Amino acid sequence: MTNFGNGSSLTVADKYYSQYGLRARELKGSGKKIIGYLSVLGPIEILTAAGVVPFRLKGNVSEAITKGDAYMETIICPFVRNVFDAAIKGKFDFLEGMVLPHQCDSIDRTDDVWANNLQLPYWHYLNVPHVTDDPSIEFMKDILRLLIRSLEKLTGKKITDDDIAQAVKAHNENRQLMRDLYVLRKSNPPMISGTEMMKVLVAAMSLPVDESSALIKSVTEEVKARPMPANGKVPRIMLIGDQIDDVAIIDAIEGAGAHLVMDDLSIGSKMYWTDVDATPDPIQGIAERYLRKLKIPTTFVGDGNTYQENLEARFGHMKQFIKEFKVDGAILFIYKYCDPYGFDVPAMKSFIESGGTPVLYLEDEYSTSTLARVKTRIEAFLEMIA
Amino acid sequence: MSPYFAGIDIGSTMTKVVIMDDEIVASIIGPTGPEHRKLANKVIEEALIKAALSFEDLAYIVATGYGRINVPFADRQVTEITCHAKGIHHLLPKVKTIVDIGGQDSKGIKISNGKVTGFVMNDKCAAGTGRFLEIIADSLGVPLVKLGEISLTADKAAEISSTCTVFAEHEVINKLSGGESVANLVAGIHESVATRVYALVNKLKIEPEVAITGGGAKNIGLVKALEHKFGFPIVVPPEPLITGALGAALVGKEVYEKYASEGLVPTRSGHGLEEARLFS
Amino acid sequence: MAEERKPRTLATKAAASIPKFVRGNLAATLKAKEEGKKVADAYINDGQDEIIRAMDIVPAWGESFAGVCAAKREAEQYLRKAEADNFSRSLCTYATCTIGFDMWREELGGEMPPKAPWGGMGRPDMIIGSAQQLCDPRFKWPQATQHYLQDVPVYVGGMYYPQWDPNVDHHEQEEIYVKYARAELMELVRFCEKHTGKKMDWDRLSELVNLTEKTWDIFIDAYELRRAIPTPMDTGDAMNTMVPLTFNLATQEAYDFYKALYDELTEKIKNKQGVAENEKYRIVWGAGLPSWFALGDFHYFNEKGAVFPVEVTYRNCEKIERLDLPPTNDPLERIARRWVRMWTYWYDAARKRKGSIPKVERIISYIEEYKCDGVVFHSAFSCRSWHAGIVHQAQVLKKVYGDIPILIMEGDIVDISSYNEADTHNRIDAFIEALDAYKKRSQ
Repeated sequence: MTNFGNGSSLTVADKYYSQYGLRARELKGSGKKIIGYLSVLGPIEILTAAGVVPFRLKGNVSEAITKGDAYMETIICPFVRNVFDAAIKGKFDFLEGMVLPHQCDSIDRTDDVWANNLQLPYWHYLNVPHVTDDPSIEFMKDILRLLIRSLEKLTGKKITDDDIAQAVKAHNENRQLMRDLYVLRKSNPPMISGTEMMKVLVAAMSLPVDESSALIKSVTEEVKARPMPANGKVPRIMLIGDQIDDVAIIDAIEGAGAHLVMDDLSIGSKMYWTDVDATPDPIQGIAERYLRKLKIPTTFVGDGNTYQENLEARFGHMKQFIKEFKVDGAILFIYKYCDPYGFDVPAMKSFIESGGTPVLYLEDEYSTSTLARVKTRIEAFLEMIA
Repeated sequence: MSPYFAGIDIGSTMTKVVIMDDEIVASIIGPTGPEHRKLANKVIEEALIKAALSFEDLAYIVATGYGRINVPFADRQVTEITCHAKGIHHLLPKVKTIVDIGGQDSKGIKISNGKVTGFVMNDKCAAGTGRFLEIIADSLGVPLVKLGEISLTADKAAEISSTCTVFAEHEVINKLSGGESVANLVAGIHESVATRVYALVNKLKIEPEVAITGGGAKNIGLVKALEHKFGFPIVVPPEPLITGALGAALVGKEVYEKYASEGLVPTRSGHGLEEARLFS
Repeated sequence: MAEERKPRTLATKAAASIPKFVRGNLAATLKAKEEGKKVADAYINDGQDEIIRAMDIVPAWGESFAGVCAAKREAEQYLRKAEADNFSRSLCTYATCTIGFDMWREELGGEMPPKAPWGGMGRPDMIIGSAQQLCDPRFKWPQATQHYLQDVPVYVGGMYYPQWDPNVDHHEQEEIYVKYARAELMELVRFCEKHTGKKMDWDRLSELVNLTEKTWDIFIDAYELRRAIPTPMDTGDAMNTMVPLTFNLATQEAYDFYKALYDELTEKIKNKQGVAENEKYRIVWGAGLPSWFALGDFHYFNEKGAVFPVEVTYRNCEKIERLDLPPTNDPLERIARRWVRMWTYWYDAARKRKGSIPKVERIISYIEEYKCDGVVFHSAFSCRSWHAGIVHQAQVLKKVYGDIPILIMEGDIVDISSYNEADTHNRIDAFIEALDAYKKRSQ
């Protein structure tokens, strides 16, 4: 277990944030199998139950793509390209294998590009469906069972229902702890800055679940014990997007005199807001959580009686966040070449605006090369809502 | 003596300064060099000379534009979005939509009662910006400032379908060697820029009156092409390059007056011109 | 599907009759109301054709309509309409073109927007999307459309197939996929019944499944005639002749069309009539949707003596007997099994060649069977589904098959602003030189 005795836990989070993969590398050294995964659909409960360490992959927004473009088209999601570039450069050489969940075309169509070029000992494509009706839940259970079988082959150890139930419990607790930390963002000003929070979120997704939980818990305690920052009249911002996993944009927001108080990001609230129900067949609860509880644009939701009901089902949680976290403005940060998010923009933007919250929509790269332009837009937005 | 305010707008290609009290007392326009800081000193000194004032006479200085953070003596930095809106509202209070075509970006701003209610900026691509015009003008061997005038002699606008600058350049060269007239090609690229700018600004639900600012406003051919797209006339302010700097000076004036109304003085940057020069 | 800008003197008669199909499909959406039929926005290659036709629902094909707009160079105005409401220009342009058109038609209270090609496309009564591995827009496009047509119900069903993995025997997973696809087709039937107020005629559905299978067979039979030297038909035509298979499947007209094509090609072969006057190079169209506004580029190839006897694009079927389908009388299960087997058809071959992938295996088989000397891909920037992974296919092909000339062209399906004719022609010239050198080397 990580010992937070020396120095603050926020310092530990910062360490794991800035040296991403540090702990995974250590664990690999001590004989653990590290399995990388992409996206919020990564089946962490099953991986934990298998006794391997789930490790969410991220790229580096400050690093230019130098090798990946030789293998992947530039019309692919800039995030996927950047992570692949890191992988092909050997940044994740501690991985035993990867689980690639079907989330979007950029992932689906590059599955064999990853598999063939990385040549990891273990590879599994998890064919997650986009729809949520009953046959889809059954299908999701079937493909989770395929994953279980392939992991059993990797570890040589049977994964029992009890293993899965234990893992579900550990991950539910982990999510609860993270939500407890989010509560500290509700005060004005928030007790933890957006930059600090980003570092905790990134650190957490790089650790085994027990270590992640210990870190989050100790950050919460540390933050609670800090003197309350002075109250100020500063705009409170929510950031919406998929995998934003660097402080650069947060710094741009907070550096321009705002607080980032909430997110709807795939490494943030999307990941932590909903739990897996403990069901007699533990796979049932997992399938339901990934298909029906996760609020992501790659899950099709459209069976409401009215269009308004569909909108509520897709984006209603965002209005809830805006209320609970007293958000003054939302920034919608979408990566270029992203069909799932891109097609949501008009509906999402008008839905949020209909509640009286201004929205800044930015379409950009997974790269700091465009940061100056992004900063100007963010600053102008803050001036506008001031 | 009434206090003076300065606005300094460091754009990607031009730097602009406005000094005002209740009205503009001096304005300066010069090219932006690679060294913003030195230039910021130089242009404000020039403007002060023109206004017959000294640096100490300035009660508040606001910097804007993409180089706004490189003005050490500025008391505050404000984006060009807010500043253009303020400047235009001061000059033309009926304007609801602003189109700004600058050297490296173009933008649209919606205003209501002098406040920004929405804005859009082009992405990093040069299409729809002054840079696009500059590159094409270069490959046609036409001085940038002559583009507008030349395009007025076109009998029709040549069709340029590529929005990518490099492709459009190829296309123009190809059409030129295919016998298309320079005037028609220039009209064609104005059409192309106008199309991109209109598509961008249209996201704001354009409302008249519309004003145009930035270098693009000085190109009569481009303004005409835009008017054609918008379907109504576009107002060009007397000096379209300085509206950002004017807005910056106005922001300074507002800040100063707000404090003054409470009997206070706003905090200053503490940097003088001399000091800045030492670092440059 | 597209009207050519330059007349193609050597084209098949069959291809020349295609605009009639496309117009007919569009006209059907406009006439449906008076005929008391329901219109559904539909998307190609979803395995849903037989159900839609059996329910007498008139499909409104956005992909066809957007292609027509592009070919007539009328797409830009609709793309801009969508852009004005914050749809990014990097999204699927089939979708944004059609959504822009839909938005405009709604604003006009149902009247067709100005310059609507061929009378435009009718307002749907329902939208039948598909969440599958074919592409994201297939479920995001219906959802985004509903933002402007809020009263129109949407159904999206999952139609999946096992992902390729050299270390996994997909046969073992097949039943999972068939079961799921069948269940989702059943959900679609229920949706159609609810919104048409009619009951499914299962016998009719079975007949349409038969007809579809017959159409697949005659399609492949006709297309395999293109193996002849000189080839009687190339991809430039196939981008037209794909229309009945893609947009009119499960109709007698589609079957009749390919029967006529079969006869025409047989005749051409007998008379040794080729596409190019002097056929010198044979090329596989390896992947990618074409630039609908620049179909003349095929003609440019032909003028250089280069022909495409075969293409991967739009050949989304196979001879039924080759799929080795287990017998069943359940029409939904038949559709589901055919669906899964079609997608996994090249998996076994790929597993046998180390380092290969199914898409490349298919190209290799075409190179060999159609005696080709090179491969051309087209990469359209706005479509990830068909165009991400092309670089990898080219690399794997070189690795497992050898050094064959490959050209990757860049453009888009609908958005002309990224296209550069002079540059494209330069690349084609260089590729032809490479083909020539390759042929000389291998002789």
